[in-house]
Amino acid sequence: MIGFLRVAIFALIGLSVIYWLVSIYKRSTERERLEKHWDKNRPVAAPDRDAYIETGMAEYEKSLRRKLIWLVYVVPMAVVGVIIYIVNVQ
Amino acid sequence: MWRYIKWGFSITVLLVVGLFLHYTLPQHDVVRIVNTYQERQDLGDWTRIFWSTPDDQASGLMNRDVQFIQAIGADGKPMVYRNEDTGWSWPPYFKFDTANLQTEADDLKSTAETPRWAMVTHYGWRNLYFSTFPNAISIRPVDDPTATIIPWFNIVFFVILAIILLMLRRMWLQFRERMLDPVAQDVAEAWDGVEDRGEAAAQKARGFWGRMKAWFGTFKGRPRR
Repeated sequence: MIGFLRVAIFALIGLSVIYWLVSIYKRSTERERLEKHWDKNRPVAAPDRDAYIETGMAEYEKSLRRKLIWLVYVVPMAVVGVIIYIVNVQ
Repeated sequence: MWRYIKWGFSITVLLVVGLFLHYTLPQHDVVRIVNTYQERQDLGDWTRIFWSTPDDQASGLMNRDVQFIQAIGADGKPMVYRNEDTGWSWPPYFKFDTANLQTEADDLKSTAETPRWAMVTHYGWRNLYFSTFPNAISIRPVDDPTATIIPWFNIVFFVILAIILLMLRRMWLQFRERMLDPVAQDVAEAWDGVEDRGEAAAQKARGFWGRMKAWFGTFKGRPRR
């Protein structure tokens, strides 16, 4: 049981670091995408570059793509579950 | 000189990573199970690292019983596997079914005259001199001992590893482009400003003695600024 707790705690720490890094990275690419989009298209509806980017970022924070980063936690846990099943039950 | 040190370093790192993966990743053998036995093993020396730590109780023990599976490979060579739980510790096979596996191995026993072939999935190394044994993970009967086994798990593992490494590289490049380069540019611009101002101030503050010193300087063959 202690062994399980040890794995759980280390996995939680490791996955949180990965989650944090990936969310920073995706935020950065999203901002870059918005900047480039504005620079190329100059949307008439959004004359202010900073406002356009901030609105886009606020939308991104609520988007599905942002929430998909939670897969960083879900996928490894599912993989561990599958490994436990295959090794012990099958 | 530095080139050789760099090469040596890279080769060492690659070798250590390669050996580590070779030890840890699963491998498959087609064998005929001959016998299973249980033997008390001393865990007091450095070869402790090759034995499992099935539960927390086991970490403090100096010796304990370990189950073994004796087999003859399809090529006729003998092979002995240990059969230990990995539990929640390294490597992450999460194996808890040691007793069941031993039963399956017992069930698959066969003689040389009427062989029943079985595929053993295992990790680890057999080393005669250090008495290390690969740990059997699963056993299943196979019909054809010469059939090719495709290591699906390892293929998927290396593909995912490559994706993760590429992702890390892209993350680093993104970080450098968006965070480090602008700062470095600002610093460089600021530094140029400081240098220009410093030069102007130096010109102004040089005064009579400064000019005299610069003039003496010309005798030393230094270029005058």
